[in-house]
Amino acid sequence: MSDALQATIGSLGDRAVLLTLHGDREGCNRGIVRLSAILSAECREESPRTIVDVVPALVSLAVFFDPRLVSARTIERRLLALADGLTDPGPDSAARLHVIPVWYDGPDLAEVARLVRLDPDEIVRRHTDREYRVRFLGFAPGFAYLGPLPPSLVVPRRSEPRRRVPAGSVAIAGDQTAVYPLDTPGGWQLIGRTTLRPFDPSRSPPSQFAAGDRVRFVRVAS
Amino acid sequence: MITLLRAPPFAAIQDLGRFGHRGSAVPVSGAMDPGSLARANALAGNDPNLAAMEWGIGAGQLRLAPGVVVGLAGADASVRREGDVLNVVEFQAGAWLYIAFRGGIDVPLVLGSRSTYLPAGFGGFEGRLLRTGDVLRVGAGGSGAKQPVPDSSLSRLNPGTFTVVPGPDRPLLDEPTWRRFLAAEWIVSRAVSRAGYRLEGPLLPFEAPDDLPSAPVCPGTVQLPPGGRPIVLMPDGPTVGGYPRIAVVVSGDLGRFAQRRPGESVRFSLP
Repeated sequence: MSDALQATIGSLGDRAVLLTLHGDREGCNRGIVRLSAILSAECREESPRTIVDVVPALVSLAVFFDPRLVSARTIERRLLALADGLTDPGPDSAARLHVIPVWYDGPDLAEVARLVRLDPDEIVRRHTDREYRVRFLGFAPGFAYLGPLPPSLVVPRRSEPRRRVPAGSVAIAGDQTAVYPLDTPGGWQLIGRTTLRPFDPSRSPPSQFAAGDRVRFVRVAS
Repeated sequence: MITLLRAPPFAAIQDLGRFGHRGSAVPVSGAMDPGSLARANALAGNDPNLAAMEWGIGAGQLRLAPGVVVGLAGADASVRREGDVLNVVEFQAGAWLYIAFRGGIDVPLVLGSRSTYLPAGFGGFEGRLLRTGDVLRVGAGGSGAKQPVPDSSLSRLNPGTFTVVPGPDRPLLDEPTWRRFLAAEWIVSRAVSRAGYRLEGPLLPFEAPDDLPSAPVCPGTVQLPPGGRPIVLMPDGPTVGGYPRIAVVVSGDLGRFAQRRPGESVRFSLP
């Protein structure tokens, strides 16, 4: 049995309560994903909605509330009750799986090969031979942080970020990988591209990925 | 109908913001100064959340169809009405003028809001800034009934002091650095956008742990990146960030803060 995850409560300004978990980061992140799913489901049922947004991050989550309807104290108590006795839920094999076809012809593939001392084919093999988990979304609408990358593919961000990374670029940095949902500036190393567009504001829900989802990349023969 | 005879450099459509999608990293967007948007709407006889024009510093000209009722609030600007033409001549103080029309501006709801989010090109009018020649339709959203008008926050009365509460990463700063943050007179830099305002002033040197986990942020969050120059996040800012969150400007003061211009001073104080 895994140990209980320790939770602390704080605030983010006067409209949000913050819950942080302490311990192993992957375990804490799985705990945050679990809490966030429970809260999001609860608040969809709620009328009127006292919670306006739930924002999960790596080891913490923010609950934005409507101060006309509820106090920070009430939200704090609700979060502490939810987190009481929470343990690392472990890998969730029932989570939604996305399979993403990728052309591995990114402009930084050669530089990554130099940095990790592997040839590009081996980089592709290692990038495609495992399943990633969406840790959280951030940076831009629909941008999912996927991890963990195999340690042999860990590279720093580019020293000069690009002013424009095209939507659909598949990138790595640190122990994470991602698909750029929109044309945005960006500093990650671009190793490939996909036709998938993970964010479309006219879709419901607009984001393809949610925290906790599983993702696998497959190579498209070029 | 409203026709932009001459668009200013930076004007777009905003309401009070887009809620419920921050977990997918969709920023709230919405008015930089929500109190002034609500006031402009009230003056036009609208509910506070109807879509209106958010007009940045600069002159411009609109033509109004007969009978269009206008409400103005926010920046202290000279605006003249000559027949069916509304002339925004110049801004004396403040950075954002709100021009509301009875019934609101009729643009599609995107993810529950009519606010423009420029970086991703959605919401508002075609997801972009307003241009000369654009024609906007007025909606049927207003009751036409007289709405209570919220208190004015005229920017010329803006004393430039804003209430902050300590941020989640305040404990990373030592006591002298925190006191320096609160005591300093900060200058709004030229690097301002709807995503954030950078501040210039004394450097706040400190060593942030290099493995600080990405964590939630919100409009009003004061981040301290390496280099020691604070950034105050605004409505188009990110939902999650990696820089230490040393303080948060309280929501009731953020609209007034947004009205400070590059080169003007700001100070922070605890409640």
